[in-house]
Amino acid sequence: MVAVEQGNMADLLEVKEVSKSFRVKSGEVRAVDGVSLRARKGEVTVILGPSGSGKTTLLYLIGSLERPDAGEINAFGEDICRPDADLIAYRRKRVGFVFQMFNLIPSLTALENVTLPMDLDGVPSEEQRGRAEKLLAGMGIEGRLLRARASRMSGGEKQRVAIARALANDPDLILADEPTGNLDSASGRVVVDILAGLARREGKCVLIVTHDESILRAADWAYQMRDGKLRGIEV
Amino acid sequence: MRSVKRGLRSFIRHPLASLAVILLLFVCLTLSLSMLAVRMAADSQVEEVKGSVGNYAELRVSSQYQMEVFQQQRKQDPAKRQAEARKMSEEEVLAERAQLMVPEELVDDFSRQPEVVSYDKVLETRVTLPEIESAELASTLSLRGGPSSGALSPSEENSFFFEGNTDGASASDFLRGAKVLAEGSFYTYQDYLQANPVVLVEKTLAEENGLEVGDTITAEITGAQGRDSEMELTVKGIYETVEAEQEGETRDPMAFNPAGSKFYAPLSVVQILNGTPGYVELGCYYLDSADSSAALQHKFQDMVINGTEGGERYELATDYSDFEAISEPLHKVARTSLIGLVGALAACALIIVLAMAIIVGGRARELGVLKAMGATHRQVLLQFAAEITCVCLVAALLAMGMSAVISQRLGDWLLREDALATSEQEAQSGQGMPVMGFMARNLYKEGGRFSLSGSDKPEVKLEVVYRGGLLAYGILILLGISLLGTAVPVVWINRLRPARVLAME
Ligand SMILES: Nc1ncnc2c1ncn2[C@@H]1O[C@H](COP(=O)(O)OP(=O)(O)O)[C@@H](O)[C@H]1O
Ligand SMILES: [Mg+2]
Repeated sequence: MVAVEQGNMADLLEVKEVSKSFRVKSGEVRAVDGVSLRARKGEVTVILGPSGSGKTTLLYLIGSLERPDAGEINAFGEDICRPDADLIAYRRKRVGFVFQMFNLIPSLTALENVTLPMDLDGVPSEEQRGRAEKLLAGMGIEGRLLRARASRMSGGEKQRVAIARALANDPDLILADEPTGNLDSASGRVVVDILAGLARREGKCVLIVTHDESILRAADWAYQMRDGKLRGIEV
Repeated sequence: MRSVKRGLRSFIRHPLASLAVILLLFVCLTLSLSMLAVRMAADSQVEEVKGSVGNYAELRVSSQYQMEVFQQQRKQDPAKRQAEARKMSEEEVLAERAQLMVPEELVDDFSRQPEVVSYDKVLETRVTLPEIESAELASTLSLRGGPSSGALSPSEENSFFFEGNTDGASASDFLRGAKVLAEGSFYTYQDYLQANPVVLVEKTLAEENGLEVGDTITAEITGAQGRDSEMELTVKGIYETVEAEQEGETRDPMAFNPAGSKFYAPLSVVQILNGTPGYVELGCYYLDSADSSAALQHKFQDMVINGTEGGERYELATDYSDFEAISEPLHKVARTSLIGLVGALAACALIIVLAMAIIVGGRARELGVLKAMGATHRQVLLQFAAEITCVCLVAALLAMGMSAVISQRLGDWLLREDALATSEQEAQSGQGMPVMGFMARNLYKEGGRFSLSGSDKPEVKLEVVYRGGLLAYGILILLGISLLGTAVPVVWINRLRPARVLAME
């Protein structure tokens, strides 16, 4: 299949001509340069590119953690780049982040890391635990591991907890930044299968950026990123 | 509430960092609270002193005027003066006698100042009691007179000291506890108003002369002749001497009364015996506080010195210098402890800001995660504020306990250091010696013309008591450093780029 530009109302995410530059000592870096992209529910979109090509920046733009210099990002029918966009609700309920560095809070247990987004969103505490346990069970985290501090877990366990955390408030858009980057190949395969399963079975819109070509096997749509520019590739 | 809970959890989950900050804060907070306790104790003690020292004023004839009168009298020929005296009318005689006294009316008038809480009028004089004998007085007088002076005159032998005021219980000696009533009762204000001829007698003297409560004594009225020249005084009370009088710096042998066998009687009675009705030796005023001393001195200047005919002859003596002497070390301790307090608080502030910068810097990723997951600034700040408050609270509680143990010692040490420094200074500059000479006159409050043994300078002690005020200040300090500590994450969260910290390797 080839990613082509076609208008579709079922698109959950539509990125239009987005650019982002950073000022650095030696001048300006165009990390993202006029990128356009669509992604739908129930599908896995993979962006492949070498280190420094702007993948992380693009993902953070979509996740509202950075603001674009130009362009539009429509998610769930709303432009999140508008100054009056409700980014708090967007981050809490609409997107779930999975990072290369896991970014779990080391002093908290697996369970606590997963309940944290629920807690921030005001989910009643009675409800939090059951939901978190279920999510973690889905990731194969059970028993004693639930009460283990994040700092004591292996990379694969950490990333699975991180995915559970990303799903805490049941968002439709999952953004994964090099999810296998710090994992051995076996753990990496498990993580990719989980992410693919989220799209296939639960109808999530999963967007993965990576330099790991093996992930392409799970992709419905794929893009190649180089020097901030994006182009569709066949999978 | 949830944010606060998360903060508490975070506090418990970072025991090492918390402990390090708690320890550092504990030291500085202990110092702060101790300094504060000392400062508050010193201040409140100064206030306490204000109500008992430095709040006393005495209206009397000035030493200078006394000197002038003495010098004038010395220039005159005694024979000529006696001849003149014989020709004088009754009023002229009274005026002559009251030359070195204060009109009672003036004392009353001046008492109407709002600063005056209570006042008294005093007259001390010698009265001849022909029937009373004192073995001790006789022996002292003969010793004093020496071999050259020969026999004593009978008038000297039977002349006794009388102190009159408006209420026996408030006579200086009784107030100070130098003398205590053993039998009978004090004369009252009513006795003064009605000029009841009653008297308090010293116990030994009473025993020597077989006097008991209810007995009468005959007294001669100065300057009166014939039938009216005597007065019958009824013994109303008998007192014991606790502390004998010491010879003061004013060496007036006639006035010295070593046995302390003084008679106390209502002022109006003593006035009659002295032949000076309407005149007193001094008026003494108790003020609400030492702070009123200066204001009263101003009013005295306006009302008496400038506003009364012949007012220049009077002076208003106060014990304000005593107050200054007592309060000076306390003031110094208060100053030192304030400097210490400011220093310790500054150290607290520095510690909390640095510690938080290190802690928050180390947990920047956590801040990024919170932000990425849609935490509001309020949620993040509440969480950190709760965590910091826990750290500060534990440190403050420990510090309160510790400062309760050490602040008294700290106060004593500061006071002692100060006393050492002062005495060194005085030794160098040669000050601190008592002022001698005729001009130094004791105040009535301190024992009249005589000073008490060992009463030179009251020892200053600092008592550090834990008060509610200290707790309030402690809570204020706690809040202050907690807020300051929270300021660090406030700055961080506003400058934080989550994309930056989350992508950190
Ligand atoms: N916050 C930033 N400040 C300055 N330069 C940045 C920043 N973030 C990314 N860059 C630069 O933008 C380019 C793209 O970075 P990034 O999006 O992290 O690429 P990738 O994730 O593909 O490795 C790089 O040259 C990087 O140095
Ligand atoms: Mg990257």
